[in-house]
Amino acid sequence: MKVLSKDKLSTALNKLSDSAEVFVPMQKGKQSGYFTWKSFEEGQDELMLEALNVYQSPKNAVFPQTERIYGIASQGVEVNIDKTYEDTSANIIFGARGCDVKGIMAMDLAFLTKGYEDSLYKARRSANTIIANACYEPGPNCFCNAMEVNCVEPAGADVILHDVGDGYGWEVKSDKGEAVTALLADILEEKEVKLPAIKPFIQNVDYSGVAEKLKDMFDHPLWDKLAEPCVNCGMCTYVCPSCYCFDIQVKMWGEQGYRFRTWDSCMFEEYSREAGGGNPRGASKERFRQRFLHKLQFFKERYGTPLCTGCGRCMIVCPTDINIVRIIDAVKEAEINA
Amino acid sequence: MPDKDHKCTCSEKPLVPNIVEVIDIIDRTPDVKSFFVKNPDGNGVPFQVAPGQCGMVSHLPIGEAMISCTWQENQEYLEFAIKRVGLLTDELHQIEIGQKIGVRGPYGNGFPVNDCKGKDMVFIAGGIGLAPLRSFIKYCFKNRQDYGKITIIYGSRSKADLCFKEELFELWPQEPNTEVFVTIDNAEAEWDGHVGFVPSYLEEINPAPAGAIAVVCGPPIMIKFVLQSLEKMGYNDDQVITTLEMRMKCGIGKCGRCNIGSEFICLDGPVYYLKQLRDLPPEW
Repeated sequence: MKVLSKDKLSTALNKLSDSAEVFVPMQKGKQSGYFTWKSFEEGQDELMLEALNVYQSPKNAVFPQTERIYGIASQGVEVNIDKTYEDTSANIIFGARGCDVKGIMAMDLAFLTKGYEDSLYKARRSANTIIANACYEPGPNCFCNAMEVNCVEPAGADVILHDVGDGYGWEVKSDKGEAVTALLADILEEKEVKLPAIKPFIQNVDYSGVAEKLKDMFDHPLWDKLAEPCVNCGMCTYVCPSCYCFDIQVKMWGEQGYRFRTWDSCMFEEYSREAGGGNPRGASKERFRQRFLHKLQFFKERYGTPLCTGCGRCMIVCPTDINIVRIIDAVKEAEINA
Repeated sequence: MPDKDHKCTCSEKPLVPNIVEVIDIIDRTPDVKSFFVKNPDGNGVPFQVAPGQCGMVSHLPIGEAMISCTWQENQEYLEFAIKRVGLLTDELHQIEIGQKIGVRGPYGNGFPVNDCKGKDMVFIAGGIGLAPLRSFIKYCFKNRQDYGKITIIYGSRSKADLCFKEELFELWPQEPNTEVFVTIDNAEAEWDGHVGFVPSYLEEINPAPAGAIAVVCGPPIMIKFVLQSLEKMGYNDDQVITTLEMRMKCGIGKCGRCNIGSEFICLDGPVYYLKQLRDLPPEW
């Protein structure tokens, strides 16, 4: 198997960064997330390839927190779209865990299927290569195995790294993977490696039948109890590797400006509030229910897979200790009175 | 109608609007104006619509909103009847003829005009809710032989708030085999027509359900009570059609917010048979 020796890691990242923006998990000041290798500051930032999940997922590489759609020039009755934006420059996500790869697979379904292709997402994603990092030792909040993710062989990865101690086994999975492998031809070595055995999951989650059961639980009283602690802060949607809802807004300075899109959250009251004041999800509970039904039922119904990838981030960041695993358990245990 | 395998009908950049010129503006009520737009070179329109489809209207420096687009027989211009309810519509109401704005679309699935052939049509609308139904009504009159008796029941808060008065009082009542009933919520000095809410007026008129299709649009509270009335009158869930509204941003089933269950109203709707809505969570 090809192996990337850990002492050649920076050389490899430098090499890849010659032709692409390379997003790598790192601790940057107080933030941890996927930042570009070019922004890495020796001695200050810390590479986090060994950590299971950094705070922010790599979704910003293909779906930035804000991105411009088009430029506007407006003068009196005249108005023009003077520029449209599409970022087709190469980008690589290096070290994404299986749950985060699944997040991008889910966004592919949302943005690229069902009639319309989102041109902004398509541009970035077409130029994107995913180098995943296989997980052999699930963490205390991991339950990707219950959410249709294979954490050792994540579907959608172009290359899969396998940590074998002093190096990473380098498993090529696609043509895009071949292309980045070719860039590292001088760095990768051919070696005999022994892949580690996967350790058992600590969380024991059973999602089977949950999407189907939820169909009859929209008005179930359990939502009142489960939603009660929620303060609708939106942290769960911010750190989620698969939350993709967005808002479209405009920024003008006098006669010039641009329309852009930005991450949005179903936790916020304005998200679904209509101009006339009506809001189908005006109450906190209604928004809470929407989020979990979207994750566990609606997305599965529409696209065939859940929108939760089992990464566990939302359980860690929630200020009121709302836990999607306990919600899945509560749904499993709930009695439905006809 | 829900259609899970949409064929892509968009441009390469579906979120980028076409620039059009406002060629006419008509005051429909004190807070409803119709905006007529055309390509800036004066030739034609950026897209054609089927009855019930929508377009995203952009006042570029301000914002965008999804608006029902009126079906025209000769698609020479697009018409959007827009009620002033918020920031964007307030600004739109201040523009003048000649202003360039943006439109993108068409979005959603229109009314099932073919399914309804041979049926008696009962159109029930309140307020600005007549705007989407007006497309279907106009379509029926253009293809008059395809449809049976046409009954139009329309109400608004006051006489001044009645939209499309010329059609309501002059054009539509002259059509063959057609009855138009108009009501306002409260009595007024210069109104000698019916006074009362749409649902009770509907029950009073009581159009027979046999071989009929009812098409409903209006404020949520009106829709709720009209559906109850129709059920009482013997209309089955597959004889009732409505068109929904939710907040929308993208129009192409991506941005998330207009979902009801696993349906996106912008893409899979906005037109639904009641029997389809019964399968969705009660958020409509």
